[in-house]
Amino acid sequence: MAMRKAGQSSPLRQGWDALTRQIGDALDNRKIAGRPIRWYLTGWRGGVLALLVAALYPFIASFSPDNAQTLISTGIAVGIYVLLALGLNIVVGYAGLLDLGYVAFFVLGAYTIAVGTGGIMKDAAGKVIQIPQFNLWILLIVGALIAGIFGVLLGAPTLRLRGDYLAIVTLGFGEIVPIVFNNIPFFYGAFGLTAVPPAPIETPIGVIDFGSFTDHTAFYFLVLALIVLVVLFVVLLRDSSLGRAWIAIREDETAAAASGVNLVRTKLLAFGLGATMGGLGGVLQGSYLSHVDPGSFNFNISISILAMIVLGGIGSLPGVILGAIVFRFFDVYLLGVINDWISGTFLVASPTAPLHFLYNLPNQAQFLITGVVLLLMIVLRPQGLIPNVRRQRELKGEGVSAEALSVVGALEAEEISEVAVVGLGAEDATEYAGPGSDARGREE
Amino acid sequence: MHVLAAQGTGLFIQQIENGIVLGAIYALVALGYTLVYGIIELINFAHGDVFMWGTMVTLTVTQAFHIGDGQVVGGFALVGLLILFIVLSMAFCAGLNVVIERFAYRPLRTAPRLAPLIAAIGVSFILENIAELWRGANSISYPLQFPIITLSLGPFSIGLLEILIILFSIGLMYALTRFIQGTKLGRAMRATAQDPEAAALMGVNINQTIALTFLIGGALAGAAGVAYTLEIRQVAFNTGFELGLIAFTAAVLGGIGNVTGAVLGGFAIGLVQALTIQYFPGGNGIEWIDVTVFAILVLILVFRPSGLLGQQIPNKA
Repeated sequence: MAMRKAGQSSPLRQGWDALTRQIGDALDNRKIAGRPIRWYLTGWRGGVLALLVAALYPFIASFSPDNAQTLISTGIAVGIYVLLALGLNIVVGYAGLLDLGYVAFFVLGAYTIAVGTGGIMKDAAGKVIQIPQFNLWILLIVGALIAGIFGVLLGAPTLRLRGDYLAIVTLGFGEIVPIVFNNIPFFYGAFGLTAVPPAPIETPIGVIDFGSFTDHTAFYFLVLALIVLVVLFVVLLRDSSLGRAWIAIREDETAAAASGVNLVRTKLLAFGLGATMGGLGGVLQGSYLSHVDPGSFNFNISISILAMIVLGGIGSLPGVILGAIVFRFFDVYLLGVINDWISGTFLVASPTAPLHFLYNLPNQAQFLITGVVLLLMIVLRPQGLIPNVRRQRELKGEGVSAEALSVVGALEAEEISEVAVVGLGAEDATEYAGPGSDARGREE
Repeated sequence: MHVLAAQGTGLFIQQIENGIVLGAIYALVALGYTLVYGIIELINFAHGDVFMWGTMVTLTVTQAFHIGDGQVVGGFALVGLLILFIVLSMAFCAGLNVVIERFAYRPLRTAPRLAPLIAAIGVSFILENIAELWRGANSISYPLQFPIITLSLGPFSIGLLEILIILFSIGLMYALTRFIQGTKLGRAMRATAQDPEAAALMGVNINQTIALTFLIGGALAGAAGVAYTLEIRQVAFNTGFELGLIAFTAAVLGGIGNVTGAVLGGFAIGLVQALTIQYFPGGNGIEWIDVTVFAILVLILVFRPSGLLGQQIPNKA
C-alpha cells in the first residue's frame, strides 16, 4: 500500500484548506467602517445582527408574494430544528455525551400537544376519555417538562457507560419510544393523532389563534421568540458553574470527578435540559404539522440534528444555530427547488425520458446528502463552520503538543541518549499531530 | 394458539433450530464489530450496512442469471452459484470495508473519540441511502429457492440449507481463530489491539494491520449476507441497520473485543430472538423483538459491561 509521508495531504483536503483560508482572510481583511467584517459577526453583535435578519425575514419573504407563505412556513420548520439543535448541543457539545436518540424527546413533545388539545382517547377497556383543550403556553411547559423528566429517566441507567456505548443505548431509546407509541392503542398506534387542532394562546392583547393556515407569520414570531429565550438561557447555562462542569466532563471525566464535579448530577442535568428543548420543539412541531404519528419520528431525525451541529460546530452556539438553519433550509426548501428545476429543465417526469432517473432524485437523496455532509465535515473540518475556540485547539492538538515538547526538552536536559529522544519525539509528533496529518507518520 | 400448543416440543425444537441458524448469521456480523472494536476501539456503525450490501450483491448476481421467482435450482448449477455468491459477496464487502476504513476512519485515528463514531454514522447513512436509491424503499423478495431437502433423525428434522449455513459459519469462525492465534499477521493484529504504539515499535505495520482487520470483518459480513439472503429471502436497504444493532448487541453480550465471545453472543441472541417470536406473552412477539434485544443490551451494559467473556477494561473515554 502506497503511503504518503506525514505532512502531505490529499488534493481534496488541500482544496478545502485553500477555500477556508480565503474565507477567513476575507473576514479579517475586508473592512466596513474601519473594522474587519469578522468584528461585526462575533459575540453579541453577531447575535443582534442575526436576530434582526430573522425578524425581517417575513417582510423579505413578502416581496415574493407567490412564495411568501412557503418561505414563512419553511422559516417555522427551520426554527423548530434550531431549538432541537440547541438542545442536542447541550448534551453532545457541552457535556460530550453522544446522544443518538434525541428524537425520543421530540416525539414526547409532539404527543403532548396532540393529546392536550382536546384529544379523544380510548383506554384499554374502550372507555372514551375526553382531554380538555389547554392553551399553548401550558402545553409548551408541560411538553418540555415531560421530555425533561424522560431525559433524566433515560439518562440515569446510562451514566456508567463509556462514550460510545452510551451512543448505542440512547439510539435504542430513540427507537423504542416511537415503537411504544406505535404499539399502544391508547395513542391510536401507527395511525397516530390526526388533525391536531391548533392551540390558542392567551396574551395580554387578546387570544392569538395560530390556526389560520393562510398566514403563518404569527407562529413564525412565536418560534423566533422561543429561540431567543432558549439562546439566552443556554448562554447563561454555558457560562455558569454547571456549564463549566459540563465542559470539564467532556474534556476528562476522571479529572473532573477528582476536582469535585458531581458526575451524576451534572450528566443528568445535561440530559434533562437538553431533552427539555427537544420537548419544546416537539410541541411546536405537533402544532405546525397538525398531525402526529410514530412513523414520522425515526432515527433519520436524530442523525439529521446531529449532522446540523456537526456542520455548524460542535459546542459552538452560533455554529449550531447556523448549522441548523443551513441544513434545514436546504432540506425543506432548496431541495424542492432543485427538484422542480430538474423536472422542469430536463423534462424527466415521463418514464420514457432518457434522463428519467433524475426524476425526484434530489428529494430521494435527502438523507444521502445528510450522510455525505456528516462524513465530509467530520473528516475535513471537524470543528464545523463556526468553531468553538476551545474545541478547535483540542482538535489541532495545540495544547497537547506543547506538553509533549516539554517532555522531550526535559529528557534532553537529563542527557538521555539522543536516539531515545529522537524516537520519543517522532512518536509524540505522530500521536498529537491531529487529524490533519493522521497516523501515516508511523510508517517511517 | 391451540394448534401451536398441540405441537409443543416439536415447535420448541423448530424454534431452537431457527435460533441457531439466525445466531450463526449474527455471529458472523458480530465478529466484524468485535474485531474492529478490539483493534481501534470504534463501534463501526456502518458494519451492518456492509452486510446489507452483501445481500444486495447476492441478489444482483442471482438476477444476472435470470432466475425466476421461486425457481428451484439444484445440482451443479446450485454449487456453482453458491461459490459465486460467496466469492463475490465476500470480496465486495471486504473491499468496501477497507475503502471505508481508508477514507473515513484513518484520517480520524488521532481525533477525539466521538469523531470516528460520527464518521461511521455518516458512512452508514451513505451506504443505506445509495442502496435505497438503487433498489427502492420496498423490500425485494429473493427469487432463488434453495431445494427443500430435509434431514430427519427421530424427532429432529433440519433443512439442508440450514445445515450448510451452520457448518459454513462454524468453518469460517474456526479459520478466523486459527488465523488470529496461529499466523504472523494474526499475531500482529493481537499486538496492535493490545498497544498500537508498542506494536509499531516492534515493527508491526499498523495501517496494514488495521486494514486487514477491516478486510476480514467485511468478508465475514459478506458471507453473512449470502446466508441471510438464501435463508430469509428478503432483501431491503434497511436490513443492515436492524441486523447490525442485533449483531452489535451480540458482540457486547459476548464481551466486545473478544472473538469467542462474539460467536457465543451471536448464538445466544439468535436463540433469544427465536423464542421471543414464539413465546412472547400476548402472541405478537415479532413486534417486540427490537425492544427485547435493546433491553438485553441495556441490561448488559449497565450490569456487566465486560460481557460474558470480556475482560474489565478501564475507562478510556
